[in-house]
Amino acid sequence: MKMNGKHVIVLLWISVFFVFFSINGWSAPQKDALTFNTYHSPKYVEGLLKDIAASHSGNAVVHKMASTPGGNDVIIMEIGTEIGKKEKKMPAIWVVANMEGTVPVSTEAALYLIRSLIDQPDQWKSKTWYILPIGNPDAALHYFQKPLFMDARNKRPYNDDMDDQVDEDGVDDLDGNGIITMMREKDPQGEWMAIPGNPLLMKRPDWSKGEKGEYKLYTEGLDNDNDGQYNEDGPGGVNTGINFPHLFKYHTVIGGMWPGSEPETFSLFKFAHEHPEIAMTICFGKTNFCMTPPRGGRKEAVDMSKIKLPEWIGKIYGMDTTRTYTMEEIMDFARTLAPTGFEISESMVAGMLGLGAAVNPQPEDLKFYNAISEEYKEFLKKNKMDAKRLDSEQDEDGSFELWSYYQLGLPSFTLDFWTLPQVEEEKKGDTLSPEKLETMTNDEFLALGEEKIDGFLKASGAPGNIKAKMLMDMIKNGMMTTKKMAEMMKQMPKPKSPEGVKQEDKALLSFNEKELGGKGFIQWKSFNHPQLGEVEIGGEVPFVRNTPPVSMVENLLKNQVPWVFELAKKIPSIRIEKAESTSLGSGIYKVKAWIENNGFLPYPTAMGKRDQQILPAIVTIEGKDLTIVEGKKRSMVSDFRGFSTRTVEWIVRTGQPGQLSVTVSTTSAGADTKTVSQGKGGVK
Amino acid sequence: MKKLFVILLAVVLGTLLLTGTSPKQKTGDPEVTVPLRFDYYYSYEMVCEALEKLHKAYPQLTRLDLVGKSDEGRAIYALTINNPKTGNENDKPGIYADGNIHGNEIQASEVCLYLADYLLKNYGVIDEITKLVDKKSFYIIPSVNVDGRYHFFHDGQHSSSGRTIYVPVDDDRDGLIDEDPFDDLDGDGNICRMRKKDPNGSFIVDPDDPRIMKSVEPGKKGDYIMLGFEGIDNDGDGRINEDVPGYVDGNRNFGFDWQPPYVQNGAGEYPFQGVGLKAIAEYVMKHPNICMAWTFHNTGGMYLRGPSSKLLGEYPISDVQVYDYIGKQAERITPGYRYLLSWKDLYTTYGDSGEFMANLAGCFSLVGELSITKDESFKTFAENQKEAIDSAKKGGEDEEDFDFMRYSDLEKEHLKYQDNLAQGELFVDWHPYKHPVYGDIEIGGWVKYSQRMPPAFMIKDMVHRNASAVIFSAKQTPEVSMEVFETKKIGDDLYRIRVRLGNANAIPTMTALAEKQNLYPKDMLKVSGKNIRVIAGGVLRDKYTDQVSYKDKRPEVQFLLIYGFSTFEYQFLVSGSGSVSFDYSSRHAGKITRTIQLQ
Repeated sequence: MKMNGKHVIVLLWISVFFVFFSINGWSAPQKDALTFNTYHSPKYVEGLLKDIAASHSGNAVVHKMASTPGGNDVIIMEIGTEIGKKEKKMPAIWVVANMEGTVPVSTEAALYLIRSLIDQPDQWKSKTWYILPIGNPDAALHYFQKPLFMDARNKRPYNDDMDDQVDEDGVDDLDGNGIITMMREKDPQGEWMAIPGNPLLMKRPDWSKGEKGEYKLYTEGLDNDNDGQYNEDGPGGVNTGINFPHLFKYHTVIGGMWPGSEPETFSLFKFAHEHPEIAMTICFGKTNFCMTPPRGGRKEAVDMSKIKLPEWIGKIYGMDTTRTYTMEEIMDFARTLAPTGFEISESMVAGMLGLGAAVNPQPEDLKFYNAISEEYKEFLKKNKMDAKRLDSEQDEDGSFELWSYYQLGLPSFTLDFWTLPQVEEEKKGDTLSPEKLETMTNDEFLALGEEKIDGFLKASGAPGNIKAKMLMDMIKNGMMTTKKMAEMMKQMPKPKSPEGVKQEDKALLSFNEKELGGKGFIQWKSFNHPQLGEVEIGGEVPFVRNTPPVSMVENLLKNQVPWVFELAKKIPSIRIEKAESTSLGSGIYKVKAWIENNGFLPYPTAMGKRDQQILPAIVTIEGKDLTIVEGKKRSMVSDFRGFSTRTVEWIVRTGQPGQLSVTVSTTSAGADTKTVSQGKGGVK
Repeated sequence: MKKLFVILLAVVLGTLLLTGTSPKQKTGDPEVTVPLRFDYYYSYEMVCEALEKLHKAYPQLTRLDLVGKSDEGRAIYALTINNPKTGNENDKPGIYADGNIHGNEIQASEVCLYLADYLLKNYGVIDEITKLVDKKSFYIIPSVNVDGRYHFFHDGQHSSSGRTIYVPVDDDRDGLIDEDPFDDLDGDGNICRMRKKDPNGSFIVDPDDPRIMKSVEPGKKGDYIMLGFEGIDNDGDGRINEDVPGYVDGNRNFGFDWQPPYVQNGAGEYPFQGVGLKAIAEYVMKHPNICMAWTFHNTGGMYLRGPSSKLLGEYPISDVQVYDYIGKQAERITPGYRYLLSWKDLYTTYGDSGEFMANLAGCFSLVGELSITKDESFKTFAENQKEAIDSAKKGGEDEEDFDFMRYSDLEKEHLKYQDNLAQGELFVDWHPYKHPVYGDIEIGGWVKYSQRMPPAFMIKDMVHRNASAVIFSAKQTPEVSMEVFETKKIGDDLYRIRVRLGNANAIPTMTALAEKQNLYPKDMLKVSGKNIRVIAGGVLRDKYTDQVSYKDKRPEVQFLLIYGFSTFEYQFLVSGSGSVSFDYSSRHAGKITRTIQLQ
């Protein structure tokens, strides 16, 4: 394929000395033998997990989820005290890793977590753990095979270029070094140039600086099908990491035909549906919701507080269609249309009006994300993991983590374990980080004054037509806030240095020099290409940006993976605080139960409340000779904030008030039963 | 037009206050005979039997495919019709028809069965049909929601119940699943309405017809309360029939433009949660020659094209032209039915099968909404005509024809029809019942085989007309011809060869939507020969001035699509000698080979 900027970023490279480990098949490892001085291949991982399950058969088991188009198995390990039971009483934590198959260190983190769990039975006394170490095994294999090449697609045959052949034009290791890098060809129409002073890097020329392109850039390979394009239809089909239903993009080349079109992902949909006990998901990969909460700022299809009604509704029902309505107002109206006893849900109405899905995190949920983020940063500091590193990648549409939050309604966390260390920028006057901006009020920002703000804008690389005065006016008019600005800044490409080197490339150059001894790049070397003639082959080694040298791995995992246990502590936990009866005389009692969530996280999340995926807590009362006079047989209590209490009341008739008990049951926040005690007061 | 929405809204919300249900076909399941009869409805078992018997009667023209199993394990069959003597099925344009994705929309299956029966019994009898069957492949799945069909016939139901697939859903979110279904209290196979005398009620018996319940005017008191559909409070939660089996709507659970249940009611937890639906989608994808798809439903008398959501944007204009061509003709084949745009004229849906067909399978896709209850009226020709003229004067459409306040009038009309044409079979008269919660009540109302589907004597007309609409579209599937219309020697061993491809029918060889979304490879024209080399080749823009758009690489393979009623010309510069083959191949329009000798 011809390289555009995006491809260059996507195709990452690794040095020879990373590959310097046994391309291991499976050779009977033991959990005790599990060390992190090598990256572990999918086959090895499968064998390892099966071994662990065999030697901990009461508490660990491996389930096969699916077979991939490439003939590999997607496996999940279950650890806990309820294994084998179809219905689980205890809540579960679902950890998945390496969903795109391109982040080897995330699989190592999953293995590290499994090892930690085996060593710490306390962690699964009251929780079940489901751990899926490799979401996309077909793609994950690339790291362990030659030539080394990063590719997130599974092995489903797919005709990328829609010609007469399938998977006919992939990369080729022309120089035989076992690594797929880039080819550059001198061409008068070239769209790329070497960066002056940094000959390893290529950039697009800036004509306004008098620069002209001199190279065409390709991934290493032949035009196998002679159609003039290079490597445009390599083996493989779908990036399973973006094959989930929230914000799924249809009609892309590598996203799959529909969400769940692949066995890898479809099996996870079914798994989630069959395991309502899952209370939280944690995805190990390239994003980090612990560091930065899920991003907002996407355009909502409809603002739920300003819904316009179509004209025909106005006509039929006499509604004013020139104004907007809140969802609550519309619900009030819709309820009047429904027959008695028929409950209209928001989702029915939203569906009828075509209001669309939530695309931004619910504000209520950002509160816990932000609080947890603060705690996470402290954790990293304590573990000396807070050195500045490049930002984690942004969440992708159609990813597991977005599906989990938006459609499963769960607290969804993600962790990455390594990015390149950041290179300190020389001070160029005052700068204002988005993080800092976020904490400022509008007034504080305005108080900085026009001159300072202009300085910030310049330093942060804002387009020249954006001036402080304009921005200040917008804030005054309520069209802009510091929060919104921070959000926008986060989305902006990082500023480039004058010579055109991006920050992340600078970080790579520096890391290559200091830590990799130059092995992160292959020097450009001339090559006589059978089709293109004289070219040079070289450039960045795949995986070099997201895969730390193996010598660093153990330390990274030791100091970061345990954060998972801190997260797991925060799941909601529904208990009966107390239950009391008060006699009303004549064998009639008022019973009141205080149901508490003694967990940090809400039950459900605000998103879970909107998507209706988490069932309410069900509260029941039992006793000998009990008749409920008033109240429900099954009371449904939902919407618990963290550390909050809700009450349920009944008026009952019983001859045995001392033998009443109240039970609360939930799908993912535990269950509890308490005997009703005698309360104060009442008729004796 | 929007009133259509209201009708459907009413159905969904259960506000059709007096809709009812009905007895089993009183004679039990009649025997299935070939040719098939269309004066009764086919139960699920009868549908299977009919397909088996059709296959047995026409083994050389048919194949019975087991598409998959439903959520409750019932077989879903497709009957394919193809004459292998005239070619491989994949090399002919495929026409797909299914029905009954909604369990209660049963007459959709009869349309599919009729289509199969009609094509088969008239093969060799009616020339047009013989030609059609020889040239096309048909894929017919009469019943998609086989569980729904089974339960609609065998359980107590009303005409709008049992729509969804049989995936358990906890509708009332109380932790128990499907625990409060309808109860056929009087055991007549219908879920009717319950009413009770109550001096503070808000309903009265209509003075014109005591079977009809009427809302009282605001401020006035009635003497009845309506208690909803037949049922008891099975789970003791104080509510009746609040967690009946279902609600994953098969026609919201397909994988294209799927949205979760909080956005699209009935969507299911994830796309293709229904195992039968997944099997059908896979079956469709395995038949890339399908270029026209029909999915039948009830009710309202509509032929709907997509998009089903405004957010998808309009289809490419050349596709719309094809839809219009077929849709307008279908309106004539079935007078009273209207050809409409799904999201705009009806309402927005996500995850429906029609849109899957258009957007992922890449074929033309129409939804047929069968039957117009309003037409079951008791009027003279002149009265009907006058009504139509009045309606046209008011600005056309039938904006006025649905109105909650007028509902009892429509019902009254319909009762006259049932009394005089169905001899009382469509309505269960109110009869007393001792209800465990409400005490003395009465049960009565429309039977399940009414309202949304015509009485048996009208089936034949409905199925013939709708099958004819399918047949019209089948005739419009692409028919490509190819000729090498010029071979000119222009140098030593160098020839200029011109080829013309033409499509005689309205449907292009690929939808413009499929082309835009890169769903599958375009048609291909390949030039080959043992001793030849293709030096250049491309589209001949103007054969008189020799304007050619040459293709830069691999000139021996050209990618193209041929629009309806149009031709396309190519020019190749070929060097060498001997024979040259031109191979045209298309997913939707089959394969053609022409060979010439260079001399």
